[in-house]
Amino acid sequence: MQLTTTQTIASALAMASCSLIGQQACAVETQSTQDDWKVDAAIMYYGEQERVQAAEVIGNVQKAFGDSSLLDMKIVVDSLTGASASGAVAQAQSQTFTRPSGKGEYTVKAGDTPLDDTFHDTRVQLSANWQEVLNQDWTTNIGVYGSKEFDYLSMGLNAGLERSFNKNNTTLALSAAFTNDVVDPVGGRPVAMSQMVFRDNYATDAEYQAAFDQTRLSGDDTKQTSDIMFGVTQILNRNWLMQANYGLSSVSGYMTDPYKILSEVDINGQTQAYRYENRPDSRLKHSVFVMTKGALDSAVVDFSYRYSTDDWDIQSHTLETHYRYNFSASLYGQLHLRYYQQQAAEFYRPFLLSDEVVPEYASADYRIGDMTAYTVGLKFGQRLSNGHEMSYRLEYYQQNPDNNGTQLPGQLQNFDLFPSVKAIVAQVSYSF
Amino acid sequence: MPTHKRTTTKPPAMSLQPRPWGFVGCFTAMASPCELLMQVDNKHIARQMLTLAYDEAQRIEQKFSRFIEGNIVWHMNHAQGKGLLIDPETVQLLQFAQQCYALSDKAFDISAGSLMVLWRFDGHHQMPHQSDIDAALRHMGFNRISLTNNILTMPAGMSVDFGGIGKEYAVDRTAQLLAQRWPQHSVLVNFGGDIACPITHKDGWQVGIENPHKLDNAAALLTIRQGALATSGNTRRYIDVAGKRYGHIINPQTGYPVEQAPLSVTVLAPNCVMAGMLATMSMLQGAQAETFLQQQGVDFTVFRG
Repeated sequence: MQLTTTQTIASALAMASCSLIGQQACAVETQSTQDDWKVDAAIMYYGEQERVQAAEVIGNVQKAFGDSSLLDMKIVVDSLTGASASGAVAQAQSQTFTRPSGKGEYTVKAGDTPLDDTFHDTRVQLSANWQEVLNQDWTTNIGVYGSKEFDYLSMGLNAGLERSFNKNNTTLALSAAFTNDVVDPVGGRPVAMSQMVFRDNYATDAEYQAAFDQTRLSGDDTKQTSDIMFGVTQILNRNWLMQANYGLSSVSGYMTDPYKILSEVDINGQTQAYRYENRPDSRLKHSVFVMTKGALDSAVVDFSYRYSTDDWDIQSHTLETHYRYNFSASLYGQLHLRYYQQQAAEFYRPFLLSDEVVPEYASADYRIGDMTAYTVGLKFGQRLSNGHEMSYRLEYYQQNPDNNGTQLPGQLQNFDLFPSVKAIVAQVSYSF
Repeated sequence: MPTHKRTTTKPPAMSLQPRPWGFVGCFTAMASPCELLMQVDNKHIARQMLTLAYDEAQRIEQKFSRFIEGNIVWHMNHAQGKGLLIDPETVQLLQFAQQCYALSDKAFDISAGSLMVLWRFDGHHQMPHQSDIDAALRHMGFNRISLTNNILTMPAGMSVDFGGIGKEYAVDRTAQLLAQRWPQHSVLVNFGGDIACPITHKDGWQVGIENPHKLDNAAALLTIRQGALATSGNTRRYIDVAGKRYGHIINPQTGYPVEQAPLSVTVLAPNCVMAGMLATMSMLQGAQAETFLQQQGVDFTVFRG
């Protein structure tokens, strides 16, 4: 043995001994070496078929200070490009739309679901969380969050308290968060339910600009979100634990999507106009989550169910499971299945009718319509000989929007107004 | 949980005694006194813990001792060059041994079985013959073992010995089984001085380190809250020939005991296998044992003659 190369022997032995005596032992050991930094880096790709593409870089750093304090810092940078559904319905003729900025137009072919291709942005998210174990029974944490994209700024604070009982077999957790968002859309916020104007209908640029400005509000707007969550974790026996959470979320402020519109159609389904959507400025949401997680011989499995309801009348059910199998001490595979079902918001309308009174609130955003969605995913993780871990995740995600019972007049029956959105998620992570 | 049959031929020679802080259990396995310190107030649980530890120690001894006929090690050493299908646990131990062989630059070699039997530390003041040592050296070398798809092929005449890892492995396995089943109770597992304590003890367990000059008297007291400790040393096993003491750490490259090796090395590490391997590797460094351990950034105690 050469003494110059010996520094790495202890760390190599630590890894080798961990894979020999199993992962449980490693999990225990990390407690004793918590003074070390832990760094995770990942790149993720999200791609919807013919729609949004996103690339994301994630960096996460954990630093423990002794046995009782843990600092967790995370940075996420993502870049979005591609098109997303504007809310307008397909037509037998091509359709032309004014861009959200008011500058320029884009045209959608006959029969196609209108997608707004101006959608691209870069977002930076930063968060930091401090966890402090006060004593055997009490743990607290406090954190800050900020994210910035071109037209959006979000800043948040959160804090939590955990209490262990019954020799750590029972944990009660209470946490709260507050977020303030500032929305400053490109081209300004549209006037609620106002009609889209077109350059071609005006003689001069100035006249057009004046008409466009009539559809816009000046300045930015804000949104405040307050969340409170209460949770219980109970160890059932040596292999199983169960968790139940109740969450209450109250949002007030600007929740309208400034880039979403609705088509206004006549009795033949022919579009007469486009209107900018409008959503209520308050939302109260309740959610209940139950999960059970178990350790099998060489596998870990969990099942969870979430029910969520709010005063927009959106109700959702989520069923989810992960099954992780350890092929060896250094290689695991994980299967992920998720099923989601959602009932539309009461103001969701796939389109407006031109002979109706314009409603106060309406949105044709399929994401708040009737919908089912499912995810099928696979992940593989591998511990390398240097102790680092590499993992690969590939998931297929499909959203199937449904008609919420709206009669389709005339030509609208010829088109798929509720097309599925199919997406692939791919992620590579490296931990050291 | 591994499934295994209790040996029925030997009744469990276990003893369980109450202490102010819990229970202490004792038995003998792997030719060593084994001890379990349990921070438990329920005698029934303490009895279950002790039985589990006893069973696991017996299982590992039966499976990996080179002195037991018909076990996996015996089959490996008698395969005469033929391929042998081996179980996942043995594969993992072999892979670990392989990593240690590489990390120690061939100084730690479990295939040195035929060399080790020449150096009997049984009180006979006799050196092995050079011709026997040369013959043994020809039958060694972990790099000549092939392991693919759970098939092990070893050259005829080679013999492996898990003695350098087995006891530490048994300590870690037992400690891990106890920690999984009773995560709320701190237990100190001590098999012949190799120690692991995976669940943190609030005040720490007091552990004595033997002084090789005064056996059975603790020379230093250590407090362990969580982690492991292992000792490598020739304190009880050596031969004196013509006034020169030969320790039980044999250098597989020369075939002779390592010169200027410490009398004993005790290392603290997150688990017992790692502590034991660092202790053994430092012994193989001879005069530079302390330097080696300092570079590893671990806590240790070295005794020299």
